[in-house]
Amino acid sequence: MTTYYGLYGQKVQYLASDPTDVQIGQVWYNSTSATLKVRAATTSGTWASGGNLNTARYGFGTAGTQTAALGFGGYIGGGAGVNTTTATEAYDGTTWTTVSSMPLARRYLGGCGTQTAALGFGGYVMSAPYKTGQTTAWSGSSWTVVNSMNTARTSLASFGTQTAAIGAGGDNYPPATGRPSNVTESYNGTSWTTVNSLNTARRGLGGAGIQTAGLAFGGYIETPVYQAASESWNGTSWTTTPSLNTGRNRVSGFGTQTIAIALGGYNGAATNSTELWNGTSWTATTNYPTAVDGAGTAGTNTAGLAFGGGTPASPAPSYSTVASQEWTGAGVGQTKTVTVT
Amino acid sequence: MAYKYCVAECWGKGFITHDDSSKFQVSGFPGNVWQIPADNQDANLWVNKVAGIWKTKAEAQAIVDVEVTAAQAAWDALPDAQKQAPIGRQRPTAIVLE
Repeated sequence: MTTYYGLYGQKVQYLASDPTDVQIGQVWYNSTSATLKVRAATTSGTWASGGNLNTARYGFGTAGTQTAALGFGGYIGGGAGVNTTTATEAYDGTTWTTVSSMPLARRYLGGCGTQTAALGFGGYVMSAPYKTGQTTAWSGSSWTVVNSMNTARTSLASFGTQTAAIGAGGDNYPPATGRPSNVTESYNGTSWTTVNSLNTARRGLGGAGIQTAGLAFGGYIETPVYQAASESWNGTSWTTTPSLNTGRNRVSGFGTQTIAIALGGYNGAATNSTELWNGTSWTATTNYPTAVDGAGTAGTNTAGLAFGGGTPASPAPSYSTVASQEWTGAGVGQTKTVTVT
Repeated sequence: MAYKYCVAECWGKGFITHDDSSKFQVSGFPGNVWQIPADNQDANLWVNKVAGIWKTKAEAQAIVDVEVTAAQAAWDALPDAQKQAPIGRQRPTAIVLE
């Protein structure tokens, strides 16, 4: 009779808990849960529940990775003057912890960098002139106001690091006309410089990448409303690339210029649509577990994170969720339970 | 595709695992309603794991409708200034379960 030992020259380990250093193809029996387990390579990306935020919100600035993320600002509801927050939360891969607040409450702001060196810029504030170009740098323990953007705006695409960032497009509101922006600004750790504009002006677009290799996608303009356009940034200029399959406003994203995830958004209703960019085209991939728009994001295509966001019929005042979802991309080792039927 | 429904509260990490997600699609709706594929053993085991309470499609739809109606009423009661983009959200729309 063929045995596992005969095939692979190894025995199936009998362990009280899952091993920490496992290789793809490794099989073991977990005596505590009485389950046979295998470490397999994923064939497609998957979402799994992460820790819940302390404050439900959407439209916030974000930075970091799947296991070391930062979320700051956003819309929390609660009535005029109080529905935008300064709250900052840090994620350790399991739990969200409230840390030092931003100096200015705002939502629809840009964010990039890491959990210990992040940048927040732009956004919508609750008093005139409503839009801001304020830029704040996070040290890992507190926020410091640095030089502002040249063009105050909200709902912009953002990517890069604390000392090498890009803010692109966004919303010029107010005034109520001429809202979509095509302005791109580059930050060098000290000041912002206006650089070449997006080809398609829009607000509520997603972004991914670094200062010299970025991606912007989706968004909203008055006509034809929900945008699917995608553009690639080479550090100097934008080039139009194949569009998303589903146009949407307040789309979220993470990853790089050549492999990125676009998730959720609003196109008449919040959507759970998730798309994968492979450097050439966007294709539908595993849907987000719930419809969501304006979610925060962090990480890469192999290990991403989405958190919060507006959800259909979430209770007032925030209309948003505390839930987070961890993304594992295709080809990544994943522990699976073997089910025998 | 045929679906089944349950009600379960998402407690956070571990509620849906990558293992679950690789075996079947879970979709969440207002009122803690979760939709899973019918005739899927792994999905049935997941409902058991999360202590889900099975609902018929009509029952699940009724739960969703109550949540949407309440959210619409709350939105309608907002001052006009808070309804205008980008200040506020759009009015919640009806959701029809498949």
